Amino acid sequence: MGNDQRRFGMLALLLALVLALAACGQQAPTAAPTPAPGGATGGGTTGAPPAPSGEPIKIGAIFDLTGATADVGTPYSKGQIAYIDWRNANGGVAGRPLQLISQDYAYEVPRAEELYTQFVTQDKVVVFSGWGTGDTEALKGRISEDQIPFISASYSAELADPAKTPFNFLVAPTYSDQMIIAMKWALEDWKAKGNTGAPKFAYLFNDSPFGRSPLADGTAFAQANGVETPLEVPSPRGATDLTPQLTQIRDFGANYVFLQNVSTPAALAIKNARSLGLDIQFVCLNWCANELLIKLAGADAEGVVGAIPFDPAAEGAKVALEFAKEKGIDYGGATSTFVQGWTAMSILVAGIEKTLADGKELTGENIRNTLQTMGEIDTGGVTQPIVFTETSHAGAKSLRLFQVKNGAWEAITDFISAQ
Amino acid sequence: MQSGTFHTTYAADMALRPYWPQRLRIALVLVAVLVFPWFADRYWLSLANTIAIAAIGAIGLNILVGYTGQISIGQGGFLAVGAFSAGLMAARLGMPMWITVPIASLFTAVVGAFFGLPSLRLKGLYLAIATLAAQEIITWVLTHGKLLGIGESLSIPRETSNIFGISMTAIGNPDFAFYWVTVGCLILTVIFVSNLFRSRAGRAFVAIRDQDIAAQVIGVDLFRYKLLAFATSSFFAGLAGALTAHYRGIISWERFTIDTSILYLAMIIIGGLGSVSGSIYGAAFITLLPALLSNLARLLSGAVPQINSYLPYMQQGAFGLAIILFLIFEPEGIVKMWRNVKDYFRLWPFSY
Repeated sequence: MGNDQRRFGMLALLLALVLALAACGQQAPTAAPTPAPGGATGGGTTGAPPAPSGEPIKIGAIFDLTGATADVGTPYSKGQIAYIDWRNANGGVAGRPLQLISQDYAYEVPRAEELYTQFVTQDKVVVFSGWGTGDTEALKGRISEDQIPFISASYSAELADPAKTPFNFLVAPTYSDQMIIAMKWALEDWKAKGNTGAPKFAYLFNDSPFGRSPLADGTAFAQANGVETPLEVPSPRGATDLTPQLTQIRDFGANYVFLQNVSTPAALAIKNARSLGLDIQFVCLNWCANELLIKLAGADAEGVVGAIPFDPAAEGAKVALEFAKEKGIDYGGATSTFVQGWTAMSILVAGIEKTLADGKELTGENIRNTLQTMGEIDTGGVTQPIVFTETSHAGAKSLRLFQVKNGAWEAITDFISAQ
Repeated sequence: MQSGTFHTTYAADMALRPYWPQRLRIALVLVAVLVFPWFADRYWLSLANTIAIAAIGAIGLNILVGYTGQISIGQGGFLAVGAFSAGLMAARLGMPMWITVPIASLFTAVVGAFFGLPSLRLKGLYLAIATLAAQEIITWVLTHGKLLGIGESLSIPRETSNIFGISMTAIGNPDFAFYWVTVGCLILTVIFVSNLFRSRAGRAFVAIRDQDIAAQVIGVDLFRYKLLAFATSSFFAGLAGALTAHYRGIISWERFTIDTSILYLAMIIIGGLGSVSGSIYGAAFITLLPALLSNLARLLSGAVPQINSYLPYMQQGAFGLAIILFLIFEPEGIVKMWRNVKDYFRLWPFSY
C-alpha cells in the first residue's frame, strides 16, 4: 500500500516538473519586464529627475557569483547592477529605462552558452556584458553572427582584433599588455635596486584560458629583453596550499613572480610564500590587484605590486561609491572591482546613448559603429579615456602600477603603456 | 508483463518492439521529434541539441557502467579526445564534418580501448581510479596544448560543418540545422545500442557485469569483451565530443574536465543504469534542471526583489537537493518511474 502512495508522489513530482518547465518556456519572455526599473528606485538625490518611460533598453549579462572566480565576480556584478539602477534613477537613457537581464553562470562555459542564447534569442537584448575568458572566447563566433556588442571582464588579447571578433570590446589594457607593463616595471626596479645582470621571472597563474592568456606575449617580451624564459607554474583551482608550486618557483630562483589569478588564490600564494620565507617580489595583474587581496593576505600583502586599470580614487568613481553608500550596497570592500564593473557598464551604455542621440535605430551593428567612431569616452579619470577604432577594440592602452603600502594601494608610477 | 501474446513466426519473436502500444509510442515520439524544431525557438533548439549530444555520451557510458559493470570516471576525457581529434582535422586539414565525426569516433574507440587495458586486472573502485588517471592524462595533454599545436581554444571553421558538401547554413540557423544532425546521430545510436544487447557481444557484457568469474567459466573471453566494451563506449563518447566540437564551433579543455565525467555518471544513475531510454531521460534531466531553476529564479526575482542575492546559491542547493531526492525515492532512476506510471495505467483499476 505504501508503495502506491510513493508511486503517486513520484508521479506528482514528475508532473509538477513537466508543468513548471512548460510554464517557464512560455513565461520567461513575458515575465522579463517585471523588475519595472524607474518606479522601484524612486526619486534619487538630485531634484527628482523625470522617471524613465517608454520601451526598456535590454542589456544581457552573465556574472560569476558562485563559481571559481566568484570572489571578484560578485563585486563586479554589484557595480554593473548599481550603474543600471543609478542610470534609471536619473532618467534612464534618452528617457528610456535600462533593463538588465542577468544570471549567475558559475564560471561554466556550457551555462554561459545557454544563458547567452536565452538572453539574445528570447529576451532580444541589444548588448551583452560578459565575464570570463573561457566563455567569452567560446561565444565569440556567435557574438559576431548575432551582432551583439559585447564587453566582457576578460581582457584577452585574442578578443581585441576587430577583424576576427568585430563585436568584442575591451575596456582595459589586454592581459598581454598588462603583463608587459608589469615586466617593464620589474626590469627598471631590478636596476634601481642596484642589481646587475637580468632578473628571473616566473608566472603563477589560474589554470584556465584566463590564466594562460598573457603568457606567450609576456615570454616573448622577456626574451627580447634578455631575460631567461619565465617559468610557468599553474595554480590548480580550489587549491588550499600552494607550497609545492612556490617551491618550484624557489628552486628556479625567480626574483619576480607575476600573478594572473583572482584574489583568493593570489592571497594564498603570497601568504604561503611568506611562511616559506621566500624573498620574491609579487606582481598582480588586474584580477588580484584589489582590496580583497589586502583583506585576505593582511600584513603579508605589504609591498606587493599590482596593475590596477580602474582607479577607485579618481573623480569619476565618486558617484559610484556615493551611490553604493546611499543604497547600502555591500561589495565586500573590493572598491576597485566594484568601480570596474560600474565603469565597464557605463562604457557599454555610452555607446547606446550616443547611438540614440544620433537618431539611429538601436541595433547591434549601429551600436558597434558608434563605439568605433565616437572618439574618446571619458571615464572621469578612472581610466585613461577609452578609444575604440575600426582597427583596434583594445580601448585602453596604458595603466598605472600600484603598491601595497600600509595596507592600502598607492600609485607608484605614472601611466605606462606596453608599446 | 504482457500476456496473451503468442508469436507464431521467428521474426515476430525476434522483434525489438513486439507489441503495438510500443510501436505506437515510437511513432508518436518520432512525430514529436520531427515536428518540434518547426515550432521551437533557438533557445529550446539549443537545449534540445545539448540534450541529444549528452544523451549519446550517456548511452556510451551506460554501455560500460550500466551493462558491463565497469566503472569509468574518464568520460570527460574521452569526450575531449573525440572533440579535439575532430576539431584538429577540421581546423588544420579543412576536412568536412561527415568525415571528421566518424574518424574521430573510431579514434576515440582506440584510445578508450587502450585506457581500458587495466580493467583486466582491476575491478570496482580500483578501476575507477585507473579511469580517473585516463581523465587526468588527457586533460594534461590538452592543457599543455603546445604538444599538439592547440592554443587555449580551438576554433572550427564554420564551412567544415557540411554534410556531403551541403553547407549547414543552407538548412537554416545553426541550432536548427544541427538539430537534424544531433538527433539523427542519437536515433542511430539508440537503434544500435538497443540491438547490441540482443547480440552475442551484448550478452557477454551483461554476463561480465553479473558475475565475471561465472562468465569466464561459461566461455566468455573476459579480456576481449572488456576491451570491446571500453571501445564501444568510447566510440559514442567520441561521437558526442565530435558533435560538440562542430556544433559549438570552438572548444577548450575547460568543457571536458572531471566535473563533466561526474555529471555524465549522474545522468546515467538518475536516468537508470543499464537502460538506453534511461540515459536519454538522465541527459534531459541534468541539462534541463539548471535551465529550469534559472528560469524559476527569474520569475521569483521579479516577485521578491530582496531574494535576488541569495538566488544563485539556492539554485546550486536545489540542484543537489533534486538529485538526492531522486536517489532516495527512486534509486533505479527515471526509467523506473516511467515504468511505474505505465504499470499503474496498465493494471488500473486493480493494483496488481
